[in-house]
Amino acid sequence: MLANRKLILAHFWLAFAVFGVALTLGAWQMFIRSPIGTWLSNPELYYRSLTAHGTVMGYVFPTLVAMGFGYAISESALEQRLVGVRWAWGGFWLIVIGSIMAVIPVALGRASVLYTFYPPLIGNVFYYLGVVLVVVGSWIWVALMSINLRVWRKANPGAAVPLAMYANVAGSYLWAWTAVGAALELLLQIIPVAAGLKATIDAGLARVFFSWTLHAIVYFWLMPTYIAYYTIVPRAIGGRVYSDSMARISFILFLVVAMPIGMHHTFADPMVGAGFKFIHSAFTALVALPTLLTVFTICASIEIAARLRGGRGLFGWIRALPWDNPMLLALAFSFIMLGFGGAGGLINMSYQLDASIHNTQWITGHFHLIFGGAIVIMYFAIAYDLWPHLTGRDLIDLRLIRTQLWLWFIGMIVTTFPWHWVGILGMPRRMAYFDFGDPAIAPQALSVTLSAIGGFILLSSGILFLVILARGMRAPQAEAGPYRFALAVHQPATVPIALNTHALWVALMIALTLTNYGYPILTLAMTEGTSVPAVYVGAQ
Amino acid sequence: MSAEDIHGSAEVAARVERRWATIAVIIIVMMALLAAFAGIHRATMPQPRVETTDPSRIHLSGEFVESNLGSVLEANGNVTVRAIGQQYSFTPACIVVPVDTPITLRATSADVVHGILIQGTNINTMLVPGYVSEQLMRFARTGDYLMPCQEFCSFGHEGMWGKVKVIDKTDFAARAKAGGRLSCVGQ
Amino acid sequence: MMSARDLFTFSNPHFTRGVGITAAILIVTAITGFIVLPFAQPWVQFANVWDAICSAAGVPQRAATITAPGQDKRLSEVVLTSNTLSRPSQEAIGRGATLAQRCAICHGPTGISRADSPNLAGQYAAVIYKELHDFRSGARTNAVMSPFAVNLTDQEIADLSLYYAYLPRLPAYHPTPQLPKPNIVIYGAPMRGIAPCGSCHGSLDNKTGSPWLEGQSEAYMKAQLHAFASGERRNDISQQMRNIARAMTPQEIDQAAAYYASQPPDVVKAVD
Repeated sequence: MLANRKLILAHFWLAFAVFGVALTLGAWQMFIRSPIGTWLSNPELYYRSLTAHGTVMGYVFPTLVAMGFGYAISESALEQRLVGVRWAWGGFWLIVIGSIMAVIPVALGRASVLYTFYPPLIGNVFYYLGVVLVVVGSWIWVALMSINLRVWRKANPGAAVPLAMYANVAGSYLWAWTAVGAALELLLQIIPVAAGLKATIDAGLARVFFSWTLHAIVYFWLMPTYIAYYTIVPRAIGGRVYSDSMARISFILFLVVAMPIGMHHTFADPMVGAGFKFIHSAFTALVALPTLLTVFTICASIEIAARLRGGRGLFGWIRALPWDNPMLLALAFSFIMLGFGGAGGLINMSYQLDASIHNTQWITGHFHLIFGGAIVIMYFAIAYDLWPHLTGRDLIDLRLIRTQLWLWFIGMIVTTFPWHWVGILGMPRRMAYFDFGDPAIAPQALSVTLSAIGGFILLSSGILFLVILARGMRAPQAEAGPYRFALAVHQPATVPIALNTHALWVALMIALTLTNYGYPILTLAMTEGTSVPAVYVGAQ
Repeated sequence: MSAEDIHGSAEVAARVERRWATIAVIIIVMMALLAAFAGIHRATMPQPRVETTDPSRIHLSGEFVESNLGSVLEANGNVTVRAIGQQYSFTPACIVVPVDTPITLRATSADVVHGILIQGTNINTMLVPGYVSEQLMRFARTGDYLMPCQEFCSFGHEGMWGKVKVIDKTDFAARAKAGGRLSCVGQ
Repeated sequence: MMSARDLFTFSNPHFTRGVGITAAILIVTAITGFIVLPFAQPWVQFANVWDAICSAAGVPQRAATITAPGQDKRLSEVVLTSNTLSRPSQEAIGRGATLAQRCAICHGPTGISRADSPNLAGQYAAVIYKELHDFRSGARTNAVMSPFAVNLTDQEIADLSLYYAYLPRLPAYHPTPQLPKPNIVIYGAPMRGIAPCGSCHGSLDNKTGSPWLEGQSEAYMKAQLHAFASGERRNDISQQMRNIARAMTPQEIDQAAAYYASQPPDVVKAVD
């Protein structure tokens, strides 16, 4: 039973509301810089919108989903009322206040620095303070997840921590640590300059700090999705998790290797040594491992469900799957997009291949496919699955839900495939308009137009999603019963201590951060004369 | 199902899983080896040194003063190109280089973070103020290439496009005879 | 705690394997990245292993000093940052007011020129500061202006800049009907490397050292754009304006100058 439905609903509604706003901005951006839009007489409006879109989609939306879902997992998987509900509300309100604080200067055009900050460009100080508040609010959630698990352990000494909670806490620890990079950048470097206390800043060091956050944040976004793969989908389609321990190993692998790989974002940067670039490149290859393991385990779990339903043959079982079930549909779409996005990621991770697409539209295509596609479609699925338990009402119209998922999938493919292509052609990122009339880039016009159409398909799907949830708040009441997670084929009674606790893996995560980031950060911080004059954005 | 059956099926499951994990590890090791191999044999590697410079004074002294920006033919037949990125142009705005010649690009930023991307090639580097970027390049075909700035550098970013002109080796050598630093600005 | 002791011990296979594999990967990749690859790369020869390791680790070094070929003309030697003259004092403005009396004949007693000299009232301080320095050093020359600038001290230049920046922006003396914005001003010309004028010149953003242009003399702006385009004027640091002016067509130069001359100065944003 979910005791704190209001808390969880508040997180989800806020998450999806800001998502709706940012999605609209995104579709507008796709349109306005495409050949079907007209050039903006004020390019700053584009960068303003881009800053808002990135800040919401990168920091606010996924964090709220992870938090709401985390509270739901804690209450249902542990079968224990949430400890620290007041604190949880405190965290929620911090995020609300932080978001408002950040969005006002952005809306006024005082902080059009994009969500990646990239000093020495400096915007209004309240933008950065707002982002800090959002992160601090989410850290309260991290602490609460840890405390709730601890309380449960005391009551159930030696028992196996339910997989969903084990993964959820792993995700929260990953976030706590990975947010430290951007937090250091903001607190030590940017905010003093934005507040006028300092006039210079080390742009290279800032990029290294940001890379600490920039990559692992993707795995934090991914955690709810993977938790849904393992613990919701098999249950929803009547299957079982193929292997409980393999699932745990995947999650702890994310914890260990998602973090010390961020410098593959700085392959083309001059302030990081080539040796560290290689180490990060190699570790980036490793992060494919938990995903490969997951693909196997989930496919096997699905096959179990199919065979239980009477599926036969080497591939014949696929037909026996309940394809009208939205959870399965979402999973299939998510896997397809993860496959393409992952293949693109393998290209980004190697220095040699990255050189041809670094900072082109390929990169934006890539992370929209992975995050907007593979990850967010499972956020939809999570919401659909949880909604009856949160509202006490049924989501009746499965057809509408399937339509929404189809639209999202089609929209994402139509948006991101041409996007990747123009990236290969060398189209740079983050430009307010392009002169497609010039013969040198005219061949890109068709692809960009397709992407813009894809953007509107995505927008229609997003609106449909909000409509379905809103209608679900008014449907006839129906008690959904306790919220349950999938069981493993061989549900373990006890688990080895290393796979039942996080300490060893957190220790390895921190150790690898020190080895892979310690020296580059220290040496840049201690080198004299690398700080450069701040450049304030938007003559104020 | 008897207890033995359960035990047996658990073992089968674990075996299948181990095989898959092995395949996954092999895939990953292969990828890392490929990266190392390409690094060694294709000579595509990140710049070997981290060099610093003061962006607000680059026009006063050192290698990025105005008279030193552009292409120069070195004694060994290689070419060095020096360039800067600034809000919102590259100097030189048009870079001229010979075809089929090893070229070293040395560049930095005078203000904020910029990037150099030469379309249709894998030449792509960030310009971070305070640091010098270095990249080896070699063009196989003559012709004109676009060189947009690939990192957001404030509100004029969309107008920051440079050009690269790759010309015949003998043409370049003839132009280099006059001395100075070459560019195709104004041509 | 009991569990911690069980966890962090070599008799725990997860601990041994986890730490062992991580350390092994780290060591192998470190050897490859810090020793093997540095010697394989083509452009620097390392004297010994230690050099290679330091270089691969990214120990920062100052870029080597290089003697550049001499410059036949003087260039700007001004260092501008967003911090330049950012804190005006009343005393400095007062001193500037006294000094400015000798400028009034061309630039007007209120900083608004009746001739084709630039209007200075409310101009960004860094702009006046830079141009005066350049006139003094000879990086920029003008038969009328150069003799005035040549004897100014650093302090006088700063005072004058702050004084003119402090004056209110007034409408210009050459009233023309406001013209619509030409494309070159709104959009620039991306593929020719021209950003919108306003991204540096005040209406969108201000690049330190770039003036706002609204209400300036059309003839003056045209002359400057042509001088930048031909390279006759070259005190723009690292060619930042020559790059733009060279890429403009004569028609675009006419349009931009006429447009800016016709604008009232109140659309300009203040600088921080």
